[in-house]
Amino acid sequence: MFLAALGVRAQDKTHFSLSTDRDLYTSGETILFKIYLPGADQSVVIKTDLLNAKGKIVEEVSKNIKNQEADGFLYLTDSLKTGTYLLCTSTGENREIAVKELFICNRFIGLSETASLLRATGQEAASEKSSDSIVVDGLNKTCKVREKLKVSIHLPSELFAQSKSNLLVSVAEVIPEYTTKPFLRKGRTGTSKFNEKEGLVVEGYATDLRNGAPFENGCIFLSVADSIPGLDYFITGKNGYFNFQLKDYFGKIPAVVQGYDLGKKLLLKLSINHPDSLNEAVPAFEFTGVPQELQSRAGEAMEATLLGKAFNFQPLSIGNSSINRKFNYPFYGVPTEVVYPGLFIDLPDFTEISRELLTSVKFRAYNRIPTLHMLNPVTQNNFNDQPLVTLDGVPVRDLNVIKNLGSKQISRIEISRKERFYGDLAFPGVVAIYTPKADNKLLPVSDDLIKLTLDAVQPDASLNVPRNQKMNEPDLRKVLLWNPAVKPEKIVRLDFETSDIQGHYKLVIKGKTGDGSILSKELYFDVK
Amino acid sequence: MTRKILYILSIAGLFLSVSLQAQDAQLKNKYEDKIRGARFIPYLNYPGAPFLNDKFLLGELEMLDGTTIKNIGLNYGCYRDELIYYNTDISTQIVVDKNSLKGFSFTDKRGIKRTFRRQSYNGSFKGDCFFEVLSDGDISLLSYRKVNLEASDTYDSKTGMSFQPAYTYFLYAADKGYIPLNMNRSSLLAKFNKQNQKLARKTLRKNGIIVSDEASFVQAWEVIYENGILPEFK
Repeated sequence: MFLAALGVRAQDKTHFSLSTDRDLYTSGETILFKIYLPGADQSVVIKTDLLNAKGKIVEEVSKNIKNQEADGFLYLTDSLKTGTYLLCTSTGENREIAVKELFICNRFIGLSETASLLRATGQEAASEKSSDSIVVDGLNKTCKVREKLKVSIHLPSELFAQSKSNLLVSVAEVIPEYTTKPFLRKGRTGTSKFNEKEGLVVEGYATDLRNGAPFENGCIFLSVADSIPGLDYFITGKNGYFNFQLKDYFGKIPAVVQGYDLGKKLLLKLSINHPDSLNEAVPAFEFTGVPQELQSRAGEAMEATLLGKAFNFQPLSIGNSSINRKFNYPFYGVPTEVVYPGLFIDLPDFTEISRELLTSVKFRAYNRIPTLHMLNPVTQNNFNDQPLVTLDGVPVRDLNVIKNLGSKQISRIEISRKERFYGDLAFPGVVAIYTPKADNKLLPVSDDLIKLTLDAVQPDASLNVPRNQKMNEPDLRKVLLWNPAVKPEKIVRLDFETSDIQGHYKLVIKGKTGDGSILSKELYFDVK
Repeated sequence: MTRKILYILSIAGLFLSVSLQAQDAQLKNKYEDKIRGARFIPYLNYPGAPFLNDKFLLGELEMLDGTTIKNIGLNYGCYRDELIYYNTDISTQIVVDKNSLKGFSFTDKRGIKRTFRRQSYNGSFKGDCFFEVLSDGDISLLSYRKVNLEASDTYDSKTGMSFQPAYTYFLYAADKGYIPLNMNRSSLLAKFNKQNQKLARKTLRKNGIIVSDEASFVQAWEVIYENGILPEFK
């Protein structure tokens, strides 16, 4: 045991390394980040959160880890207040959190209401070796605006011969009065029982609505709206815990989690584990004065952002993520019949639609209790149980939700007359209704139905660099180069052009050596 | 005394690992393990064997994305070309959605692993079908295990109908397509050009292979193919 513990410690000598393109941003801009993971971390997904100074998560993204590294971006909305924020990155497997302090200036308010700055204190910067063995040729101390630069980077053998990791190379504006270094914090007491090895994890607990006790034998559904709707289910055990692992989803995805008692008698309440705060990541802060230079630079940055928005410059190109779906048909199988009510005369409600357009489906709403029956083609009698009814892929148990849907509210109805099985669940026929908006608004939120927007894995993106820009079009880039995946070679050549923004710039070269330590080089130059 | 302590510790460790495994099994929610299908509708009661096996055999499903589901009871329904699995939790026979599968395999009574692949065919029958892979390679020898319900002698069947096997065989190359063939020597040799036919005949003679049943037919093809003698895809 002792030897095993020693072995784990020996493996875990490397740490997270978190880099961002800049330290000061305005709302409406995008944070670009790159993370190197410790060698022992076997996670496949990494979470990066933007916290305010109180530890509340204001933005979050998940990224796939490839070769122990990940890079991504975070869009800063205009609802963010001017102030100090923390960019935190962590995996489900590692109790370490890499944190970087950033200053975000609301582009409509600026620093006018800010009398002092919050700065983290008492934090030891994450260990990164500054390497003199990285040699840079072709970069002068002073450059002109819109000057085309060709720079060569000579790498030491430990970065190109002994390492399999990609390099981060970035050139971005820097404000000497406000620079921050990443630091490490310990102690995320993970609530998750899974380490996101198989994708995004959605987990929570089902409790008895009457007494709050864990709900055993509850059937929990997770429905994901998509062109082919996704459905997964979980039968809860004694502790009422449930979890779902979402693979192959990208971007923000609307989802619905709902549950019911398999015995069909009791009501249950669902709660989703979602850390809306990361208090462990918040260091001690101290108040400092706002440097004059920072105030003036922040003002210029705000103007540049506003002007950039006016010219509709898109800083990033978001890549298309090819999704290799396991199934190319819905969970209820290939429908036996598809009906488009729009092709027929307008019908006012679902009773009329079932009467006129749907063969073998009988929907009636007598005495405010709607019922739905489907003919079993094998026995030529109705199925004993109610068929599965879905609305935009989400199972609907209360038929009152669909009873008022007329031809105008329905784009198509898919019907499966077979007795379908999905794992251990049996559906005696399926009626799948699709609405034109597919926004789940018709589904009422209740104790046993939660609507979510899940942050699935973020697609890859690359920095947009304007080519052959005319002189009368402003070039307001503050990030001149951001390449987080440069293949290490003996000599790495860079081509980039300065923008119209004058000021101090920093070239950063960062890489991971074979033994897992981080080597970096920073060079400063001015654009005048 | 030390031995006793070690014994107690090892027993305790065993119990601990079992309980951890049980907890893990309860927590695991594997989307991949949820098989999609429809209730199996029994075949009509006629003489003959509409299934490949007379009982469910433990086998493995290979899903479209390459994931596998192991140790489930499978039987191949030759009459409707469908794969039936027995869901022990709900005691139901379920026809697995064909379009969710890449293939399946099981070990038969003789202990031989039999592998089936879902492939599209556009000849005498059309659509996605399960083909048994008799010999795998760049050119594979496949069999379509079809059973038909046919009129038969009333001495054999009181109803005048019975299930009759109508197996068909193919040579298949992914880039060239299918060559249908009958299970005999002359049909196999006819799929080669004249020069290769001579070589194939010589190879069979040299190896003393007489095609009399399916096993020897497969053996004949394998010997010819191993010697680099290739058939002619038209």
